[in-house]
Amino acid sequence: MSDSDSDDWSEEWIPYSQRAEWADVVPLAQDDGERPIVAIAYSPKFREVFDYFRAIIAHKEKSPRALELTADALQLNPANYTVWQYRRDILRALGSDLYEELDYLEEVIRDNAKNYQVWHHRRVIVEMLNNPSKELELTEVALERDNKNYHAWQHRQWAIKAFDLYENELTFVDRLIAEDIRNNSAWNQRFFVLKHFGLTPEVVQREIQYTMNRIRVVKNNESAWNYLGGILRHGDHGTVNRNVEVISFCEELYASGVRSPYLLAFLIDLYKEQCLQQTNEADAEVLSKKVYNLCSDMSKNHDVVRRKYWQYVADQLKLKLSEK
Amino acid sequence: MSHDAVNIEGIKREPVLMHKHAKFCIRFLNLLPARLASHDSTRGAIAFFAVCGLDVLKSLSLLSNQMQKDVIEWIYGGLVTSLEDGQQSCCGFQGSRCVNIISNDEQLQANAKCYQWGHLAMTYTGIGLLATLGDDLSRLDRKSIVDGVAAVQRPDGSFSASIDGSENDMRFVFCAAAICHMLDYWGNVDKEKMYQFIISCIRYDNGFSQYLEGEAHGGTSFCALAALELSGQLHRLDEDTKENIKRWLIFRQVNGFQGRPNKMVDTCYSFWIGAALRILGAFELTDYEENRAYLMETQDNIVGGFSKWPQSTTDPFHTYLGLCGLSFMNEPGLAEVKPSLNMSMRAYNHLKHLHAQWQAESTDDKFATKETPASKLNSDDKSTSDTSPLIKAQ
Repeated sequence: MSDSDSDDWSEEWIPYSQRAEWADVVPLAQDDGERPIVAIAYSPKFREVFDYFRAIIAHKEKSPRALELTADALQLNPANYTVWQYRRDILRALGSDLYEELDYLEEVIRDNAKNYQVWHHRRVIVEMLNNPSKELELTEVALERDNKNYHAWQHRQWAIKAFDLYENELTFVDRLIAEDIRNNSAWNQRFFVLKHFGLTPEVVQREIQYTMNRIRVVKNNESAWNYLGGILRHGDHGTVNRNVEVISFCEELYASGVRSPYLLAFLIDLYKEQCLQQTNEADAEVLSKKVYNLCSDMSKNHDVVRRKYWQYVADQLKLKLSEK
Repeated sequence: MSHDAVNIEGIKREPVLMHKHAKFCIRFLNLLPARLASHDSTRGAIAFFAVCGLDVLKSLSLLSNQMQKDVIEWIYGGLVTSLEDGQQSCCGFQGSRCVNIISNDEQLQANAKCYQWGHLAMTYTGIGLLATLGDDLSRLDRKSIVDGVAAVQRPDGSFSASIDGSENDMRFVFCAAAICHMLDYWGNVDKEKMYQFIISCIRYDNGFSQYLEGEAHGGTSFCALAALELSGQLHRLDEDTKENIKRWLIFRQVNGFQGRPNKMVDTCYSFWIGAALRILGAFELTDYEENRAYLMETQDNIVGGFSKWPQSTTDPFHTYLGLCGLSFMNEPGLAEVKPSLNMSMRAYNHLKHLHAQWQAESTDDKFATKETPASKLNSDDKSTSDTSPLIKAQ
């Protein structure tokens, strides 16, 4: 739980009750029931701002001063979706300059980058303007601060999809993966972009090279292994065992002594698939032995936290083979 | 708590400080300091974590009868019921009371009411909390609440939190399914579209994403699987798909659990991932000792509560989910938790008892459509017409 700041009466702060331009408004107290629970000891400023907010909403006032009041209320509680909603209704009623709203939001997002309501408001305003020209930069700045910020990625994907902004996205993703090869969000974005352009056999082949090159740099990177598996399964009807190059890549890594759990998990999947497809019983047995040995090695040495799982994987294969 | 001190191998284990956690939960039901004012819109959820936390701690009796009554009355005080001028249903429980005014002026009250909307997360936690406290839900009009749920279903099958001004994603799919399951009534909710949305969010790495093509996420994967179970559609996933999802979930264990690949471990994922694996019947494949050891590192030994990381600030959310995570591993002294509803099995059994009562009483016309197949209930005009504020908002 984050604390809200600037709750105190600062020197510049003039209470609404002392503002001449608000003299006509009678503030309205919150009805929180007779015996409220999880009651908040609102600061005098918080209480007053929301008392005036209640008054303007109860009088359906949509004015420039009401708009300013919502900004005060949102500074005190940026998660209040009702205030955001009323702010939008005021903006619509006044026909306000929505580019000013974008500037305002840029600041709010900078301070509240993980707040659902702020990002939603941003999206509605961009839709109203029908102009996404600032969204890639906005999300880029947010991702510079936290390269896995789910809200920023979601907004970015939405803008790209809604306004067809795919053109330079692969370059952006390349840069993010270069900066942090373990950034799973960036790998996901890569899949998102390439799926849009079409995962043709050529693209799949290129992506396999790209991913293998990055696995060579960091072998123990789940994001890259998941991407490799995803790309292969997409191209090969849900299997990972048809690409000769990937198979030899993995087997060479293994032969060279690499024991990353992700490599071993990949080999387990690969041999399991081959084993279940194999019609020759002797060959199937060789493959099943490989699976059992790898599972055992995982359980005992390389992935001990998942020892019960790898035992289960081996047991599942035994069961399937016995049913064959 | 001598049973906590030693495990079967005789190794000393850090004890779960039951009494301190109970006191921690109670504290949040009372007065919160001004610095927590940014949680004003989610007070109902805080109440849910605190009360359900006490329930899982088997300590509800620490709440006086008066306090339990106060909680129930306050929750009902946030119920939006009316449906005027043929408007779309806004029924359900409100998040905050920030636009509930003290005034005798009817016009002012009516104007304020225009912004009093039910919120799916608050409706879910509100009903869950009432059930936990043994309320019989007789003050709820189940049909109007489920109308409120159906009104926020989007054309793609997902749900928004409220009638306007809300994003739509897997979190609210879960809330919708939990509400309908708890009320044993699905009304005009389109289960088929909901299912299609959920499976369309299975990502290339076999986790579920919050929205189409987003990054797979642990909390989202829980929401997706729980919604499938609660809507009776888990069996529609084929075996290979289930095994692949299990793999993604199992791989989230580091010592505790992380929410996404290459992210930090966090207490709450012992619940989200743990519950998701429970739903798939694969939780026993995880390493209990490692999981428990991590959770215990995030326990505040002085004032109680759990935090997301060791040496961080505790809060009701991580406290409740940490306790549930421990319950999944059969921690002595903790109540059993129903994974898909994120509440105690005791509270769930109370709901089942109410369902049986309602079914026996159900001669009311408004529930006549109850057994109608979902496909027949799908009228596209219910939430997707051109005049829908949902469309305008998006």
